[in-house]
Amino acid sequence: MLDMKAISKVYQTDMVQTHALRDFNLHVAEREFVAVTGPSGSGKTTFLNIAGMLEPFSGGQYCLDGVDIGKLNDNARADLRNQKIGFIFQGFNLIPDLNLYENVEVPLRYRGIKSAERKRRVEECLELVGLAGRAKHLPQQLSGGQQQRVAIARALAGRPRFLLADEPTGNLDSLMARQVMELLEQINREGATIVMVTHDPELARRAPRNIQIVDGRVTDFTLYQGRSMDTAMAAGG
Amino acid sequence: MFTHYIDLAWRSLRQTPLVTFLMILAIAIGIGVTMTTLSVYHMMSTDPIPDKSDRLFAVQLQPMDDGETWATGDDVPYQLTYQDAINLQALPGDFLRAPMIRAGFSVHLNTPQSKPVIEDARVTDSDFFSMFNLTFIHGSAWTAAQAQSAAPVVVLDEEMAQQMFGKTDVVGESLFLGERRHEIVGVTQKWRPNIKFYDLNNGAFGKAERLFVPFSHVKAYDVDTWGNTNAWKFEETRDFNDKMNSEMVWIQFWVQLDTPAQRQAYGDMLMAYMQQQQKLGRFNREELAYGLQDVNAWMNYNKVISEDNKILVGLSFMFLAVCVANILGLLLAKFMRRAADVGVRRALGASKRQVFYQHLVEVGMLGLLGGAVGIVFAQFGLLGVRQSYDYYNNLASMDWMMLLSAPVIAISACILAGLYPAWLVCRTTPATHLKVQ
Repeated sequence: MLDMKAISKVYQTDMVQTHALRDFNLHVAEREFVAVTGPSGSGKTTFLNIAGMLEPFSGGQYCLDGVDIGKLNDNARADLRNQKIGFIFQGFNLIPDLNLYENVEVPLRYRGIKSAERKRRVEECLELVGLAGRAKHLPQQLSGGQQQRVAIARALAGRPRFLLADEPTGNLDSLMARQVMELLEQINREGATIVMVTHDPELARRAPRNIQIVDGRVTDFTLYQGRSMDTAMAAGG
Repeated sequence: MFTHYIDLAWRSLRQTPLVTFLMILAIAIGIGVTMTTLSVYHMMSTDPIPDKSDRLFAVQLQPMDDGETWATGDDVPYQLTYQDAINLQALPGDFLRAPMIRAGFSVHLNTPQSKPVIEDARVTDSDFFSMFNLTFIHGSAWTAAQAQSAAPVVVLDEEMAQQMFGKTDVVGESLFLGERRHEIVGVTQKWRPNIKFYDLNNGAFGKAERLFVPFSHVKAYDVDTWGNTNAWKFEETRDFNDKMNSEMVWIQFWVQLDTPAQRQAYGDMLMAYMQQQQKLGRFNREELAYGLQDVNAWMNYNKVISEDNKILVGLSFMFLAVCVANILGLLLAKFMRRAADVGVRRALGASKRQVFYQHLVEVGMLGLLGGAVGIVFAQFGLLGVRQSYDYYNNLASMDWMMLLSAPVIAISACILAGLYPAWLVCRTTPATHLKVQ
């Protein structure tokens, strides 16, 4: 599904070069749920942004579902992102002047899906996250946990095969965090591949596979729930 | 997607009412000023008689001796001598022709109740009415016999008839032009060409005459011109008869020639006429010359639209550019504040192109609103022009073409202003804003 080989990312200013990722290798298989941990500034978010094609990488090769991302132009990347990837952000990133229905509808509009089908999918996703009754509410009228559920609904509306979550429970209390985590697990069981960046070791332990990023490299991985170390090593590169 | 962009644009404009108001005001002021000058310019340069402007020709002859010059590009006087006008009127051929001058009279009904008015009159031939598309609503032009005998007849336009009699059907009634009683033989529809192209001697934008009398009255009643009389050599003119027989130029002359062949034949006739006149001691020149210019060429020749008008239009567009620069600044600030939203949309699958179009639709809508308000401002501007200069009454108005142009110019100007901010916002790296939102 996701295959990164020797990926590097360098931020260049007039005076300083910062290597956010260096010789970064990772393979994530279809339907995996991977938790990514690491200290602040280690490159977790940079990895996630590159994985989601939100920013370009400086070197290496990145293939998503067999497509070499390095060879795509901006429009093709936008299309691929829209078709295959769903995002969940720590800060929810809902568009404040759109109501919940319209927020969830955004990726479907960019995909050119017809109105009736959009309606069906939006209602289905809001139902899934338990907010069908709040479709006309604006984001600021909801609690943090509810907003994150809307963000999940939005990420799911396009039926992505690949879900990228950046600290999805970072701004939530423990009860809300657990609910969101349960939702992600349910989504994973239904077939989506999930890569989740988190600081929370407890949440990370709930993911079947963990990787750790330190100084822009994958340095460690741990397997839970009965997967063999050999398989994980092969997957992690 | 376009309707979605319109929806987003409308929400965005409502979200920042003060900025929206300022931007609409800026574009509206720019459009108001631009459309005021452009409308006047447009009306000045519009073909005043489009259905036959290429078939009506102003006739010029070069009567001056060799070495004499005139203030025209080709040294040929604008007008004809009386004797040439009379001779050209008598040339054979099946085409319409009209010698003419602007004269004027004290017009009254010779009753204690009627108040005399000083009124311009066009002294011309009956062909004038069909040549220049005047329509009779009552009666008709004078007959050839009436013209021949210089019968005291007159044609009014409906406004003049209404003013003098309180009604338009006044055929058979009498009117006094000075001391002379004239019978009204016809009433035309109101006729107000924007440009007084048939007689540009005293300004191109004067009011068309509302009173018409036969050209034969010039000789019969010594009707002199209220327009220009120009001489190019010394001649003793003790009375009006001397003027009529002099080389002074003071008569306008128009012909309608429907085909190129007719035009060619008429040109040959003019040349033959001048050669014949040379034998009589006139046209003392090596090279004979005449002018035969259609309506639009005649207006260019007479510089109806001055350089000043063109400069004014240019300046108004420069003012619009200043307004556009202000809008650009406001748009830049507004769009960059929205970079975080754009980041989210990009993350959710919007391409740079889609983000770019979304913002262009917003500036287009701004232009549309600004254009609509600008039209209102322009109406005030044109009203001001009309109030200031009477003779701009017909010109200081917006026709449908200008009404349509206003929003097009406003939208184009706003899109021009919005190109850079829209390009900048669509180029933002989404990742930069997602973390900090």
